[in-house]
Amino acid sequence: MIRKSILFALCSFGFLCLNAQTANVPETDKSPMDMCYYPDNYPVLKIQNKTKDALMARAIYSRPQRNGRKVFGELLEYGKLWRLGANEATEVEFYKDTRINGKKVPKGRYTLYAIPYENQWTVIVNKDTDTWGAFKYDSKKDVVRMDVPVKKLTEAVEFFSMSFEKTTTGCQMNIAWDDVMVSLPISM
Amino acid sequence: MNLLRSANVLLLVGILGFTACNNKPVPAGTDNADKPAQVPQVAANPNGLIDQSPMDIIYYPIEYPKLKMSGETSAPPAMRVMYSRPQKKGRDIFGNLQKYGQPWRLGANEATEIEFFKNVTIQGKPVSAGRYVIYCIPEPKEWNIVLNSHLFSWGLHFDSTKDIQHFKIPVESTKGPVEYFTMTFLDRDKGASLVMAWDTVMAKLPIEF
Repeated sequence: MIRKSILFALCSFGFLCLNAQTANVPETDKSPMDMCYYPDNYPVLKIQNKTKDALMARAIYSRPQRNGRKVFGELLEYGKLWRLGANEATEVEFYKDTRINGKKVPKGRYTLYAIPYENQWTVIVNKDTDTWGAFKYDSKKDVVRMDVPVKKLTEAVEFFSMSFEKTTTGCQMNIAWDDVMVSLPISM
Repeated sequence: MNLLRSANVLLLVGILGFTACNNKPVPAGTDNADKPAQVPQVAANPNGLIDQSPMDIIYYPIEYPKLKMSGETSAPPAMRVMYSRPQKKGRDIFGNLQKYGQPWRLGANEATEIEFFKNVTIQGKPVSAGRYVIYCIPEPKEWNIVLNSHLFSWGLHFDSTKDIQHFKIPVESTKGPVEYFTMTFLDRDKGASLVMAWDTVMAKLPIEF
């Protein structure tokens, strides 16, 4: 494993040196980006003709790793705004009008943020998209906020994770990292 | 994404990259009646695991979200691409792993997606603002780049009845093998080129707006 790691590191080093020559060839991110859908696994279902449903939601986010750290209350201070991921601001797109916390959220793209506390999180849906992190967060552009309870997990989640799960009224977005998970209910 | 970093950081990035791509992280666990709630294990996004070919996003202007964050721009972005980044891993890619004349998803996993936030022109053909699947039919000396309307699909099947435009672009050699499939934008007259590079080749799609 160590030998492989060193080999890989050397390959990366060579590649990055190459970058310097060819210029503007971006390296890969330390916290890789990922997407999740509702209905879950939608692109695969679509090419297999296994879904008649339309795509309702997609989230795009980056996945930092725990790397042995205690995340909530230490790495991320309670009560402080968090970008819910890494790198580019986390994006959710709804392909139909939805309701969150009783408020209409029209179809479209939004940025998600969270303020974690020990027992609950405030999840924020904001309409200022295509930005980086939470550094320019403007609460005037909030569409809705919702407080959701924290569920404790018995086994830590290494990579920050988001996924959608069906509910009786629509779906919920499950957000998990370290030993914590929250679920944001979305009515459709 | 700075290009200039110290060797130590590069090594670290390499090791982390390896770890990210190949190590199985701590499993998220399975549901169990006598345990607290667990993250549901779903096929598309089994929590705790990450993709072998990580996803990435590029904007034009390059690094648009950072420019916006730092207040260097208030104009909207012109376009963005979302794609996944397979690795060469010692393989010959074109004409071997990827057969000539066969559609290629320009990435991995989901079909690669390009969004124009304004109307653009490519090789004299108008392309309306909006979102498209972009894929490629590679040949040794030219690539046929296709814009297609079959959005939100996995990249193993393309419905050619939903092709919107085809663009033939020449293939160029890179200075050395590119390990990770890479897309980026380069400034050009009246717009930008979408640069696509992997292994020993690259191609540029000129986009005017």
